[in-house]
Amino acid sequence: MLACLCTVLWHLPAVPALNRTGDPGPGPSIQKTYDLTRYLEHQLRSLAGTYLNYLGPPFNEPDFNPPRLGADTLPRATVNLEVWRSLNDKLRLTQNYEAYSHLLCYLRGLNRQAATAELRHSLAHFCTSLQGLLGSIAGVMATLGYPLPQPLPGTEPTWTPGPAHSDFLQKMDDFWLLKELQTWLWRSAKDFNRLKKKMQPPAAAVTLHLEAHGF
Amino acid sequence: MLLRDCPVISKRKPESMALFAVFQTTFLLTLLSLRTHQSEVLAENLLLTPEAFKVSVNSAQRCLHLQWTVHNLPYNQEFKMIFQIQISRTETSNVIWMGNYSTTVKWNETVHWSWESELPLECAAHFVRIRSVVDDARFPEWNFWSSWSSWQEVNVQDSTGQDTLFVFPKDKLVEEGSNVTICYISGNIQNDISCYLEGEQIHGEQLDPHVSTFKLENVPFIRKGGTNIYCEEKQRKAISNGTVLFVSKVLEEPKDFSCETRDFKTLICTWDPGANTALDWSKQPSQSYTLFESYSGKKKHCEEKNRCNWQITQDSQEIYNFTLITENYLRKRSVNLLFNLTHRVHPMSPFSVQFENISATSAVMTWKLHSLGDYFTLLCQVELHGEGKMIQQHNVSVKANGKYLLNELEPNTEYVAQVHCADDNHFWKWSEWSGRDFTTPEAAPSEAPDVWRTMKSGSHNVTLFWKPLSKFHANGKILFYNVAVENLDKPSRLEHRSIPAPANSTELTLDGCSYQIRVTASNSAGASPAAVIVVPAAPGNKEVEEEIIEGTEDGFSMSWKPQSGDVMGYVVEWCDRPQDPLCDFQWKKLGPNTTSTVISSDAFRPGVRYNFRIYELSTKRIAHLLERKTGYTRELAPSDNPHVVTNNLTSHSFTLSWKNYSTKSQPAFIRGYHVYLKSKEEQCQPGAEKAVLPDDTVCCQYKIDNPEQKTFTVENLKPESFYEFLVTPHTSFSEGPSGTFTKVRTPDEYPYMLVHVIVPVVICVVLLVCGCLLKSQWMKDKCYPDIPDPYKSSVLSLIKSKENPHRTIMSISDCIPDAIEVVNKQEGSKIQSLGTRKSLTEPELTKLSYLYLLPTEKNYSGPGPCICFENYTYNQAASDCASCGHAPVSPEAPPSQWGLLTSSENLLKALEKNYMNSLGEIPAGETTLNYVSQLASPMSGDKDSLSTNALVPPPCSEYKMQMAVPLCLASPPPTENSDLSSITLLGPSEHYR
Repeated sequence: MLACLCTVLWHLPAVPALNRTGDPGPGPSIQKTYDLTRYLEHQLRSLAGTYLNYLGPPFNEPDFNPPRLGADTLPRATVNLEVWRSLNDKLRLTQNYEAYSHLLCYLRGLNRQAATAELRHSLAHFCTSLQGLLGSIAGVMATLGYPLPQPLPGTEPTWTPGPAHSDFLQKMDDFWLLKELQTWLWRSAKDFNRLKKKMQPPAAAVTLHLEAHGF
Repeated sequence: MLLRDCPVISKRKPESMALFAVFQTTFLLTLLSLRTHQSEVLAENLLLTPEAFKVSVNSAQRCLHLQWTVHNLPYNQEFKMIFQIQISRTETSNVIWMGNYSTTVKWNETVHWSWESELPLECAAHFVRIRSVVDDARFPEWNFWSSWSSWQEVNVQDSTGQDTLFVFPKDKLVEEGSNVTICYISGNIQNDISCYLEGEQIHGEQLDPHVSTFKLENVPFIRKGGTNIYCEEKQRKAISNGTVLFVSKVLEEPKDFSCETRDFKTLICTWDPGANTALDWSKQPSQSYTLFESYSGKKKHCEEKNRCNWQITQDSQEIYNFTLITENYLRKRSVNLLFNLTHRVHPMSPFSVQFENISATSAVMTWKLHSLGDYFTLLCQVELHGEGKMIQQHNVSVKANGKYLLNELEPNTEYVAQVHCADDNHFWKWSEWSGRDFTTPEAAPSEAPDVWRTMKSGSHNVTLFWKPLSKFHANGKILFYNVAVENLDKPSRLEHRSIPAPANSTELTLDGCSYQIRVTASNSAGASPAAVIVVPAAPGNKEVEEEIIEGTEDGFSMSWKPQSGDVMGYVVEWCDRPQDPLCDFQWKKLGPNTTSTVISSDAFRPGVRYNFRIYELSTKRIAHLLERKTGYTRELAPSDNPHVVTNNLTSHSFTLSWKNYSTKSQPAFIRGYHVYLKSKEEQCQPGAEKAVLPDDTVCCQYKIDNPEQKTFTVENLKPESFYEFLVTPHTSFSEGPSGTFTKVRTPDEYPYMLVHVIVPVVICVVLLVCGCLLKSQWMKDKCYPDIPDPYKSSVLSLIKSKENPHRTIMSISDCIPDAIEVVNKQEGSKIQSLGTRKSLTEPELTKLSYLYLLPTEKNYSGPGPCICFENYTYNQAASDCASCGHAPVSPEAPPSQWGLLTSSENLLKALEKNYMNSLGEIPAGETTLNYVSQLASPMSGDKDSLSTNALVPPPCSEYKMQMAVPLCLASPPPTENSDLSSITLLGPSEHYR
C-alpha cells in the first residue's frame, strides 16, 4: 500500500491537474508530503534500530557519538535558525530535494553491505518510500512552478569507499547516514509544515491549525 | 612466528642472467680447479654474504618478503646453504626473531623467503638482516658464516605524527578460534586510551609510548558483519577509531559425500556442507565447492552448496574418482570418492501400479519401470499394508514390467500395496515407493455368532444375546441376524425371525416344551454357520451355593469342578454393571477341557460386587448351572452405617434393629457389625470390650460376627441413664464410617410398679362403687331405711276417727320461717315468661326447691332440733343421696356454699337441666324471687306477690336459683366472715368452675 502511495507521489508532477491554476493549489500536495515525511520518520526509527544492531556495539549504543570522519560528504540538515527562516520556498524545496537525492543514493549503498535478507528487505522498502518522498517534493515544486535542480556533471554522489577507508569507518559513515537522514526528516517536517501554513488561506489555516494541534 | 600463511616461502629466478652466468660460472670453475692450491686464499676471498637483499611488505598478510642472491658461487653448481635471518622490532637491537633457512642455491640465484608477523606491521618498524653459510659436505672448507648483511628497515607507519588514532590491523579476516594481535598508534594524542571489543574493555601492553598491542586469543564468531574493536580517549569519552575483525567460521570438510545415477545420464553427487562461512561487507563469500574427476581430468564448479550434477559421457567410463574441494579465503578442504558407476544405481520409482482380478482373498498387482538397459535386472519389493501395518512383503525380480499375485487377503478389507525397486546385481538404494490402495469384496461370514441366553426363573421367556462378529469373521457388513426356533418335543413349523444389525439380543416367549434355537449372521454375500442353543422344557437349575472369590485389578480368577465328563464346554456369565437395570450382560464360553479362567473387563470397578454363574454345556447344548461365584475386584470400606431403630426400651435394656440394611449392596463383604456403646460407666458389660474411637473417646464395643444378625439387645443398663450407641458394619479389613452416635435414655423403674399395682386397685374400687350404685336400694334399706310418715301412719287414722278431731299434728302454717333465700334471675324472655306463668305448676317448681331448715340467727350454735319435712316433689335422685335429715348440719355453713362446691358431675348436669327449664318459665328480665322455705310447694299466688315485692338486683346480673344440695356432697363450711347474700348472688361463670 505504501509502495502504491509512493508511486503515486512519484508521478505527481506528471499529473496535469496539479499543474493547472484553479486547482486546489499546492496545499494538498504539501500536506501529503508532510504526512509522508512523518511516516518515513517513523519507518526510519525501526530500520535504524535493526541496522545499528546489525553493526553491533558501539554503534547500537544509545550514547554513541562518533566523530564525523568520513561523513562530510553527506548533506547536512542542521542549519542556523535565522538562515532557515529566511529561506524562500524555492530554496527550501530545492535543498530538500537535493538532500534526499543524495541520501537515497547513499542509502542504496547500505543495501550492498547487508547480507541478511530481512535487513535487505527493510532497506529496499525504505528506499522505495524515500523515492516516493523525493517524487512528492518534486510534485510540490512542479505545482509551485519551480524547476527541479539539475545535478552537476561529475558530482553524482557515489558510494565507493576508497581502499584506505576501513570497514570500521564505513560503519561510522553508515551510522551518520542514518542519523543525518533522521535529522533531515525532522527538518523536512518543519519545512513542509511551514510551507503548508504559508500556502493555505487564512480561514482554512485556522482549521488546519486546530487539526494539527489535535494531531 | 608464522611462516605458513605467507604466500611465498622461497622462489628462484635465475633465467634472466643466464648468459652472464655462463661466463661467471666458467670463471668460478677455473677457480675451483685451483682450490687445492689456493683454498685458504679463496676462502677468505669468497664473499658468500647475501647480496641484493630486499625486503618487501604485505601488510594485509602481515608478511615480510625477503629476497637475495648469493653471487660468489661456482657456476652451474648447487650448494646446500643455510641462511640465518634476524628480525628486530622498533630498533635493531631488539631482535624478536632469529632463524635459519636451509636451501640449495645456485650461482646468482634469487632466493625468496617470507616471514609472517604476529603483530601488524603497521604497529612498529621492523629491521631484517641475513647471513649465510655453505652447508655442503663437498665443500667443508666453506663451512663458515658469512658476515651479516646490513639491516633493512621495514616501516609502514605512514600515520605517525598525526593527531589521529589508528587501530591495526584494518578489517582483518581470521578464522574462529585463532589468536589475533592488534595495536593502536596514538600519534600525538596524549590522553589515556581504552580499547574495547564489542563493548568489553581489553587490556594490552605498551610497545612504545605511542603504540600498544592487544593479544586476542581464541576469537569467537559473533556476527557476519564483523567484530568491532574500538578505542576511545578517556578524557574526551569519544570514540577515536576502531577496526572490524571479521571472524569466519571454520570451514568444515564436506560430510556424507556420495554420488549415484538414476538414469545413466547424470551422476548426482550430494554432501552435507556444514556451516556457511560467508561474511558480510564482502569480506568472504560462502565457501565454494568444486568437483574434480581425476580419470577424466574434468572439473566442475558446483552452483549449489550441497549437490552437484555430473554429466555422464558416452565413453563407457565405469570407474569414477571424484574429489570434492571446498574452500574459502582462509582454508581449503577436500574429500575423495572412488566408485564404479554400475554400483551406484538408484532406480527411479516404479509407475503405473494397477490391480487386476481382485477377489475376496486375492488380487494381482502390476507395475512398470523406467528402463535402465537390457542387462539390468531389478529387485522389486512388494509390500501389502492393511489397517496401518504391513501384512505381507515379497521380493520380485523384474526386467521391465512387474507383476505379483497377492494371496491370503481378507474379504471386505481395504489394502494398500506398494512397490519399490533396486539394482539386483549391486544393491545400492531402493527407489521411492509407488503404491495404490484397493478393497476386496465381501464374503459370507466365516464363523457362527457367539450366542448365549438368559432365562427368567418361573417363566418361559428366553432372552437371546449374541456378540457381533469380529471383522475377521464377518467378512463384510453384517446386515441382519436370523433366529430359527424349533420345538423339539412335538413336530411343528420352524419359527424364523430376522433381526436387523446391529441389534445384539432378542426375547423369545416359549411354552413348556424344549426348543432348539439357531442363530446365523448374514451379510450381502451370505449367512454364517449357525450357532445352536437348546432351551430345555424344565430348566432344572438346582440351588447352588454362592462362593466368595477374591478379585484383583486384573480380573477374577475362578475355577470349577466338572460334574459330568460329557460336556461341550463351559459358559461363565456375569454383568459388567450389576447395579444398572440393564446390567450389561456378559458371558465367556470356554472349551470342555477348561476348568478355570480369568474374567476381566474394563468395566470392573472397585467396590462393586460381581456375581458369576458357571454353566456346563452338555453335548445336547443344554446348559446346567454348575457354580456361582461372587467377589469384588477390590473391596472398599463401607461408606454408610445401617439405619438403626431402637426397640424395647426398658430401664435396663434396649434393642437395636437394622433390618433394612442390605449386605449385598455394600462395597465389600460385610463380615459382621460392631456396636459401640458410650455411657458414664467406666466398666463395660460382659461381652463388650473397651475400644478407643478415632476421636480418642473410650467406649464399649460389642462384636457381631454374623452379617445376617441385624438386631442386638443391650442389657444390664441402669435406669434413668443416658447411653449413646453406634452400629457400624465391618469387613475383613475395615469398618464403616465413624458416624454420629444416637442417644438413648433408659426410663425410671417406678412408673412400672405404679402401673402394675395402682391400676388394678383403682379398677377394683371403681367396680365396687359401681356395684354399690347398682345395689343402692338394697344399701339404703340396709344402712339408712326411710323414716315413717306420721300422717300416713295407720295410727293417725285411728286417732282421727275415734278421738278428738281438734287434736292435730303440728300444721305447716304454724311454722315460722326462719330463713328466706332470694334468687334473682334476669335471663329469659319476658313475653315467654308471661305467657307461661300459669304453667309453672308446683311439681315443676318444687323440683328446684330443696328445702332445708336453716338457722336464722347467726349466733345459733349447737346441735339444735333439725326438722326435715319430706316433700314428695323433691328430686328423688338428689334426695337419695341427701343426708340432711341424718347428718348434723353446721349452722355456719350456708346452703349456697354447698351448692357452689358441689363437684359431682351428675348432679351438676341435673342442676343445669333444671336451671334451664326454670329459665324458660321464669320471665326474663324480671327480678325473680325464688322463695326458698321450708314450704314444700310454693303457691302461684305467692309467686306473684313475690314478684311485686322483689328485691331489685343489679342489672345484667345473672342469678341462679338457690338449690338445696345434699349434705353428703357438701364441701367443708366456709369461713365465719362469709357474707350470706354475697355468696348466694353468683355469676354464671362461677357455676362451672
